[in-house]
Amino acid sequence: MSPPSTSVAEGARPPHHAELERVYVWDLVVRLSHWIIMLSLLLLAVTGIYIGKPFYIPRGPEAEQLVMTNMRIVHFYAAIIFTLTVLVRVAWMFVGSHYARWDQFFPIGARRRRDVFRMLKFYTFLSSKPPMNVGHNPLAGLTYIAVFGLYFVMILTGLALYSVNAGLEYGGYMREIGGWFLPLFGGPQTARWIHHIAMWFLLGFFAHHIWSAMLVSRVEGMGLIDSMFSGYKWLPKGWRKRDE
Amino acid sequence: MGKLQSDFRRELAARGVSRREFMGFCSAMAVAFGLPKGATAMIAEAIENNPKPTLVWLNYQDCAGNTESFLRASKPTAAEVILDLISIDYHEVIMAAAGHQAEANLRAVVENQKGKYIAVVEGSIPTGANGAYCTVGGRAAIDIAREVCGNAAATIAAGTCATFGGIPAASPNPTGALGVGDAVPGIKKLINLSACPMNAQNMTATLVYYLTYGDWPALDKLNRPLFAYGKSIHDACERRSHYNSGQFVEQWGDEAHREGQCLYKMGCKGPVTFQNCPNVGWNDNTSWPIACGHGCIGCAEPDFWDKMTPFYAHIPGFPGFGKGSNIDKVGFWATIGVTTAFAGHTLVHLGKKRMQSGKDTPADPNVNPKGGEA
Repeated sequence: MSPPSTSVAEGARPPHHAELERVYVWDLVVRLSHWIIMLSLLLLAVTGIYIGKPFYIPRGPEAEQLVMTNMRIVHFYAAIIFTLTVLVRVAWMFVGSHYARWDQFFPIGARRRRDVFRMLKFYTFLSSKPPMNVGHNPLAGLTYIAVFGLYFVMILTGLALYSVNAGLEYGGYMREIGGWFLPLFGGPQTARWIHHIAMWFLLGFFAHHIWSAMLVSRVEGMGLIDSMFSGYKWLPKGWRKRDE
Repeated sequence: MGKLQSDFRRELAARGVSRREFMGFCSAMAVAFGLPKGATAMIAEAIENNPKPTLVWLNYQDCAGNTESFLRASKPTAAEVILDLISIDYHEVIMAAAGHQAEANLRAVVENQKGKYIAVVEGSIPTGANGAYCTVGGRAAIDIAREVCGNAAATIAAGTCATFGGIPAASPNPTGALGVGDAVPGIKKLINLSACPMNAQNMTATLVYYLTYGDWPALDKLNRPLFAYGKSIHDACERRSHYNSGQFVEQWGDEAHREGQCLYKMGCKGPVTFQNCPNVGWNDNTSWPIACGHGCIGCAEPDFWDKMTPFYAHIPGFPGFGKGSNIDKVGFWATIGVTTAFAGHTLVHLGKKRMQSGKDTPADPNVNPKGGEA
């Protein structure tokens, strides 16, 4: 823990004359997993909504139409990609770079705990300036814990539902694994209900996430959205040590 | 061969069942077990020669639908002859004896053929009020079941009530009803033949398997014979290709319904129900529910009355929004709501900013001026 910089005042949007520097915040695994999770989630949502409420899509000769089958296949493969990416990201919380770690998601320390409420005040217009943080802001961190919780709800209910009709390859291990979860969710119908409601929560989060990313990126002026592609944020000099 | 065989042949002839028909039955059984063609002769020989086991049939909390299913074939078939040759020493619905005489029969079987007879249980066993909800001859069902099933070579639970508790065990389960496996734990060999009612064909096949091999068929995790419960209804369904193509019945009686398309959207439980209905059918393979244009209600699965409802939808309603509510409708509008709320939030934010622009805002008092961990 290096002594915090006292030269830069906290608060939204660093002053124009402040010297900015490019700081590497999000490592490659963080960024890649972020976009893979987003893409696979969108694919899962689209195919999943079709599977839940299918309809006829006339395309080509009748005997060759396998719309439902294809939707299910895409759904299952996207689910595999999604599950593995989520697992890699969770593992990365323990072995990754500083801002990728699990403790960035929890409001550890008095300042980060206070920042949760400051962020809430900003969102509710009680304050015009969000607290500045190098990595996740503490409220976002808490939200992401909930989102990862939803991911696991999706993965487990999905496995449970898949297990009912899973193939018998390799000794039917998929039936065993998922079949173990199925009673925990109260049988296939309740599991399906949970699977659906968790999807709507994730889609609600999706809407929230895009809006707040645009908003916070604009107010902070640190290049938040850019940083999800490049990994770099623009920070006033000396700030990089603030959270370490 | 011996006298028994000629007896059996005479019996067949008396019923108007030809040898050809009997062999047809044996090969149907071989097919049901997934055995090669040569097994037919083996099954026929076993049925003709092997000693027939004694069977006692206990009726508890159910509608006797399994008895109906078991006894009422539309014409005398080879299967019926087989079932007649099994010595049914006790069956409350069909036995001639009554009262003390009937109970004495049951006692005699339990005492004289300990570990050799087959017990069939139909209906759930109540455990509430010390078993007072169902008594036979003054004894609680659970006491009789403990004694009879405990001394049997094997127990066959016939129908969903006997296997998983069925409708008597549906919430709120006033009698504390349980399936045989749960009510009488530690039964030597338990074979569950679920479904409401159980398919008589599967009962016959299970008995024929026992007559042929002197052993019981392989069971799944719920103790159901794999030959009958190894595959989901969905996987063997005659309407499966419509599911794969995305052709679904949207409304009872619509074009798709008349064409026999998939009933998935009408709440068909075929994908989560395991039974051989599509292959063996019902009433001598006359038809079965999905062939009639009605979705499967999942009657062969545990707690189907609680867990498979609503029967005409795929997911339960949304609590507080009524029975016909749909989680996806609620979720859709909630997502639209969130999006709108954030759009509104942005507008408020921009509006506030415009009002503040030009003013040199003082430093936020909420922010720690020293920075760092405070």
